[in-house]
Amino acid sequence: MYKRRAAGALALGLATAITVVGCSSSDSPNSNPSGDGNTANGEPVTITFWSWPEGTDKTVEEFNATHDDVQVKYTNAGGGDESAAKLLTAVRSGEAPDVSLVEYTTLPSLIVGGAVMDITDKVGDIQDAFSPGAWEQTTFDGVVYGVPQDVGPAAMVYNAKAFADAGITEPPATWDDFRKDAELIKAHDPKAVIGAYPPSELGFFASAAALTGSKWWSYEGDAWSVNIGDQATQDMATFFQGMADDGLISTDSLLTADYNAKLNANQMLSWTSALWATGVVQGVADDSQMGNWRLARFPQWEAGKTAVGYQGGSAAIVTASSEKVDAAMEFITWLNATAEGNQAFLTNSGAYPAATVGQELTTSLPTPPIAEGQDDYYKLAADIASDTIGVSWGPNVAYAKTVLEEELGKAIQNHTSWADAFVATGEAVKKDLKDQGYNVAN
Amino acid sequence: MTTVAQTAPPKTRRRRSVQNHGSAPYWLIAPAFILFLAFMVIPIIYTVWLSMFAYRVDSGGGILAKRVLSFVGFGNYKAVMSDSAYATGLLHVLLYGIVAVPILLGLALIFALLLDTVGVRSGGFSRPAIFIPYAIPGVVAALLWGFLYLPSTSPISSITEALGWGTVPFLNLPWIYGSLANIAVWGGVGFNMIIIYTALRSIPGEVLESARLDGASEVQVALRIKIPMVIPAIVLTSFFALIGTLQLYNEPQTLRTMSSAISPTWVPLMTIYRDAFMTDNLPRAAAASVLLALITVIASVIVMAIARRRSAK
Repeated sequence: MYKRRAAGALALGLATAITVVGCSSSDSPNSNPSGDGNTANGEPVTITFWSWPEGTDKTVEEFNATHDDVQVKYTNAGGGDESAAKLLTAVRSGEAPDVSLVEYTTLPSLIVGGAVMDITDKVGDIQDAFSPGAWEQTTFDGVVYGVPQDVGPAAMVYNAKAFADAGITEPPATWDDFRKDAELIKAHDPKAVIGAYPPSELGFFASAAALTGSKWWSYEGDAWSVNIGDQATQDMATFFQGMADDGLISTDSLLTADYNAKLNANQMLSWTSALWATGVVQGVADDSQMGNWRLARFPQWEAGKTAVGYQGGSAAIVTASSEKVDAAMEFITWLNATAEGNQAFLTNSGAYPAATVGQELTTSLPTPPIAEGQDDYYKLAADIASDTIGVSWGPNVAYAKTVLEEELGKAIQNHTSWADAFVATGEAVKKDLKDQGYNVAN
Repeated sequence: MTTVAQTAPPKTRRRRSVQNHGSAPYWLIAPAFILFLAFMVIPIIYTVWLSMFAYRVDSGGGILAKRVLSFVGFGNYKAVMSDSAYATGLLHVLLYGIVAVPILLGLALIFALLLDTVGVRSGGFSRPAIFIPYAIPGVVAALLWGFLYLPSTSPISSITEALGWGTVPFLNLPWIYGSLANIAVWGGVGFNMIIIYTALRSIPGEVLESARLDGASEVQVALRIKIPMVIPAIVLTSFFALIGTLQLYNEPQTLRTMSSAISPTWVPLMTIYRDAFMTDNLPRAAAASVLLALITVIASVIVMAIARRRSAK
């Protein structure tokens, strides 16, 4: 009897041990950054690449067709709010790709998560391919963490035909003009609004605040400063609250079925965001909208200024766990810094290149169908892209986004001050940085 | 003369009353036990262990110092308990529960009683009809109802608009609680009704017959005989409803893009999702999950105690 009990206990113990070992995570990724390109016998090195813009598979095919020494295996990892967390998890479990596209806003959080490799020594050749403003988005404290791929200089797309019907012939140059135009639109058609400004649009509010010189995150030495609640941002918030209270703008989410329907019914008449907005609007618009929309400069707070901030945009990084750094850099260089690579993703994905050579390429492209008739479309885009204000993102942008969405959402629901919502967000973001252990100057 | 009955020798050892099956039972339950261990016990232990850590950076490491998992004891629990997002989440869940649970259980009970009434043909149409909404996947049901609520696509709103009363604010406060509860009730009534109906079916016929012979009306039979006899089934469905309410996630998350009243942290599980998958704070999500589980256990214990006290009366 004792033997049977012992055997039973041993069996269960063994089962437990096997389960625990089987469930435990694998070893941490081998972070050996000195991996080289070709293998000894000249076989092409295969690297894995995560990205999401539509058409990237075609771009990768073009690379594979023209390169013998490096082949790229592409996976559509999906974009959106969870893409950074997905990449972090992959790096921590040792399953990460060699190269990944990341949004500028998530880059610092990926760096502090240990997912990004330092490539300062590898970008010497392509230093001049990008403007200093573009490099600023992937360089922190002198260390380069990624190569810019596309940028989103702030711009506005608007339904010029509907504007004309309401009696507006010129796009608004300042936000005060924007408000006047909104009133004209409302007077012409009570169901139409000039645009939607939901609480989820941290990127937009940051870009609008940047025009005033406000820096939501900035660093000096080894300390961060958080200024999401500064006076300039509060004034901006009060301005938009005024428009919302007067029914001149909507606060409903963008790009939902409802939004798209309104857009096609000439009830959602503009989108102040960035150069990539044209492609997105074209994606949701039906044929009746083609040729009606136009690209214009982002409205300014002060008349006469032209510099704009950025909203969105992405860079290519080499992950910290990659062992094929040279091959990865070869691909990234082709994709982001050469005319062939830029032409590929420009045609296939419609993204606006960060590299100077890519931006020059755009001027020879035909105007997108939705803006047909605007012959200087790409020239205007290049002008807009040439005069930008740099932006710094902190390591907790994802957290800031959810806090703002909540605080501003509450303010909208309860009709309380939007400015206070931004101040509260700033305080929460500051506290989060301090709790994690960062030095915060203010 | 021989003695016929001979007493058995006194037993010095108690004889086993069950057959000796050997080690077969252990081997037979081993697969289930291993799976239970692997997918329930070990993850729970890991969650509790993980909740004691947090990502911290070395203050001297510069602006982009790497986050390192460090032991913080109950720091995460303190942070969760003082986080207003979790507190308001629980408040929303409470308000939702006050609306949803009584309606859900009340309707399930009424339908079950109606189907059990003498003279009603319970097969055929009614039972499947009440049960079918349960078979519809949660996200599909939420989207379906979402479009029925959204002013621009809602048939109800188009009727009220035609009558000149404007659109029905299904997706605004305070109606949003009722709208969300409606989706859950629509989906869950069938399941709970089946549980109570089965319990009703097992009431001995003699009890009901004698009650009717004594002159009780159907309503009196229902209230005085049937309901008290299915209290255990009602307690069971209350547990399900309670757990479902505390774990509310699917409906608010799916309707988030349609309603500006639903924030990204409207219920505790949405906040846990945010911490785990959006802001790279898995340990805090682990701590919140443990706390939510504890709240669920405490609530269940309270419900159990109330039920026991009522049935002991």
